[in-house]
Amino acid sequence: MSVSKIPWVIKYRPRKLSEFVNQEEAIEKIKDWIKKWLSGKPERKAALFHGPPGSGKTSIVEALCREYGFQLIEMNASDYRREQDIERVAKLASAQRGLFANRRIILLDEIDGLALAGGADAGAIEAIVELIETTRNPVIMTANNPWDLTFKTLRDHSVMIEFKRLDKRDVLEVLRRICAAEKLSCDEKALSFIAERSEGDLRSAINDLEAVAEGGGEVTEEIARQLLRARDRILEPFEVVRKIFWSKYVWQAKLNATQTDLDPDTMMEWINENLPRQITDPEDLWRAYEALAKADVYRGRIVRTGSWDFLAYTIELMTAGVALAPKNDPKSKFRWVKYQFPEKIRLMSQTREYRALRDSMASIIGERIHASKAKVLKDVLPYIRVIFENNVEVAAKIAISLNLTDPMIKYLSQSKGDEIIARVKELRKAIRAEARKTESKKGETQKNTKKSEEIKKQQVKGGLDSFTKKTRF
Amino acid sequence: MLDLSEEEVSRILAELLWTEKYRPKTLDEVVNQKEVVTRLKQFIKERNTPHLLFAGPPGTGKTTVAHAFAHDLYGGDYRLYLLELNASDERGIDVIRTKVKEFARTKTPGNVPFKLILLDESDNMTADAQQALRRLMEMYVVATRFILVANYPSKIIEPIQSRCAVFRFVPLNREDVVGRLSWICGKEGVKCNQDALNTIYDLSEGDMRKAINILQTAAALGEVSVSNVYKVVGLAHPKEIKEMIKTALSGDFIKARNILRSLMVTYGLSGIDIIKQIHKEITSSDIDLPEEAKVELADYVGEIQFRLVEGADEEIQLDALLARLVVLGKKIVGVAPKRVGK
Repeated sequence: MSVSKIPWVIKYRPRKLSEFVNQEEAIEKIKDWIKKWLSGKPERKAALFHGPPGSGKTSIVEALCREYGFQLIEMNASDYRREQDIERVAKLASAQRGLFANRRIILLDEIDGLALAGGADAGAIEAIVELIETTRNPVIMTANNPWDLTFKTLRDHSVMIEFKRLDKRDVLEVLRRICAAEKLSCDEKALSFIAERSEGDLRSAINDLEAVAEGGGEVTEEIARQLLRARDRILEPFEVVRKIFWSKYVWQAKLNATQTDLDPDTMMEWINENLPRQITDPEDLWRAYEALAKADVYRGRIVRTGSWDFLAYTIELMTAGVALAPKNDPKSKFRWVKYQFPEKIRLMSQTREYRALRDSMASIIGERIHASKAKVLKDVLPYIRVIFENNVEVAAKIAISLNLTDPMIKYLSQSKGDEIIARVKELRKAIRAEARKTESKKGETQKNTKKSEEIKKQQVKGGLDSFTKKTRF
Repeated sequence: MLDLSEEEVSRILAELLWTEKYRPKTLDEVVNQKEVVTRLKQFIKERNTPHLLFAGPPGTGKTTVAHAFAHDLYGGDYRLYLLELNASDERGIDVIRTKVKEFARTKTPGNVPFKLILLDESDNMTADAQQALRRLMEMYVVATRFILVANYPSKIIEPIQSRCAVFRFVPLNREDVVGRLSWICGKEGVKCNQDALNTIYDLSEGDMRKAINILQTAAALGEVSVSNVYKVVGLAHPKEIKEMIKTALSGDFIKARNILRSLMVTYGLSGIDIIKQIHKEITSSDIDLPEEAKVELADYVGEIQFRLVEGADEEIQLDALLARLVVLGKKIVGVAPKRVGK
């Protein structure tokens, strides 16, 4: 979980062209093309590297830059690649090189990830072609499948360089090297299993090896089989919760928690919701809740300290802590029960308006009586509510003087809300009539005039708020 | 159609909450806190004041005195020279850096010696905000004075405390509260008997705001009688908390949790308010718990409250407490509820 830890795929990336396994042919072709660039004009200014995932396309570009001293300018699927973004890169590509400045390589990674059809990257192909035509630096594109019709013009402009799918032996060799470098005792059968299922994708093989080593602590075939079968797909939330509850080991519970897109907060809600459905012995349930509550305490510590290191403890407590809680009735966690969507999440979204109303009313009143929202909710609203449930006349007057809206009145009184609203309307009308009367009797006293003007202003605004404020002082 | 006289209209518009309507406007109107008032009047005479820290339990007049002080200092339109912020609602460093700083650095009109910034419930300010505040108190002391209001002055950092003159507000005594309530009854033309007012004092524990709220609500029920007073207090306190505790003790965790959720959503009660009420309930005689269990629970309730203060998730922490109640309930009854929930 530590942030500073470098994933093995990056740590063991080949740094030199000679370190790549089984791509000699591709490398020869690349070197030829680059040499042409260095000695003058190549026939084709772009190269399209294509081949299965994890065969080394992107890594080779990086090694190439290192070996020949190019500066790498990269755009990949995580960047926007709209027309104007590519044009920006094209400017860099076509710029005249200073005498001592580095040459550049422009890398457009994963072009089959362009969101073309009406998507965010519309117009990208045309912009890339334009870029290739104007560039003074080598342009490299990578793709898993370049044979799509959309890429035809790009193919026509490029040297096509194919990367072979690695075979099992190549992958196995790399895995052994990593085991040695990490000083791990690795069971040969386990490595073979990992290499086999990677189907030539070295990146995924290295990721699998790392997961097994980290999750299991050692690399044996049994652990590899158990862990990697699980890694195959993203599970539905309720499946994840079930697997977490069913876990017998800490690593298992932790690993199960990784098989989901849910963030830790949401997952905690899922666990919280379904915990009492799964674990029913009171003491077991309390132990599980205490683990969950402690996980939550660590979550708070992440927020307070800003250190994500605490996430590891949050996850361990909320998964393994909960899974290992049942002692009196250890079998209860394997019982099949129907899980539910977290009620709290549902409730919060259902009641958003209601809560906003409640809170805005609390702050209106709080401002009036010089108290915080929390204090109003706790110490004042309960009494106002009793008044509103019991005395329509007083309630209506309070509603007018606090300038409460109809929904607020209904919030305060379920049984008499409509009656109060009707009375408020009646009273407001009478107040306006009285104000007009006063106005027609103009000029009696200065005070009177001032007051009716005030009322008139209020009528325009449709509220009486500032008027009552004035009368108070 | 309803025909109202001008006077009737003013009366409707003045139908405020009584806590506001009868809040003393000047220091002379303040019935208690004699010592505090005397010292503050001295400051007004000198037209100078240090930074002030008003400390004391709820409903003892801290905010009221702060406003009355400003009123006596500047006159009727004192609000022009007073910035009032409630630290519970605006407690972050941003507010200190923007609103407070902005107001503090604006020029003071020639006719007043300095402006006032009232920070209510300032013990709820974050530590960062307090540090920022401490700097502002020094930088703008010439033109701006602060009044900090707090229930727990210990939550105000030492350097701020040492820059303030500290005023301790004490809970109001029976004569003061009953006298004030009976004066309000007279003003409102409400029938109220002495026993009822004494009952209100007993229930409000020297908290004037609470006392007046009970009074106004009882009056709205028809008359201020002992029975109405009890009725009001019963109605105002959500019965759900007791029900939730009993449900958990009976072994039904899921039902207890549902009650908890509705308390938080419907009443908007904070986790800390709920846990304080739970604490009150379990030590009361209404809930039948063995004495040792109450002690055991006190420790755990305190732990949960501490976690909440530290910013933990309200529901998850309170769920853990409910789960603990289920365990206790099982022990007490001696017969284990077979299954929790359903």
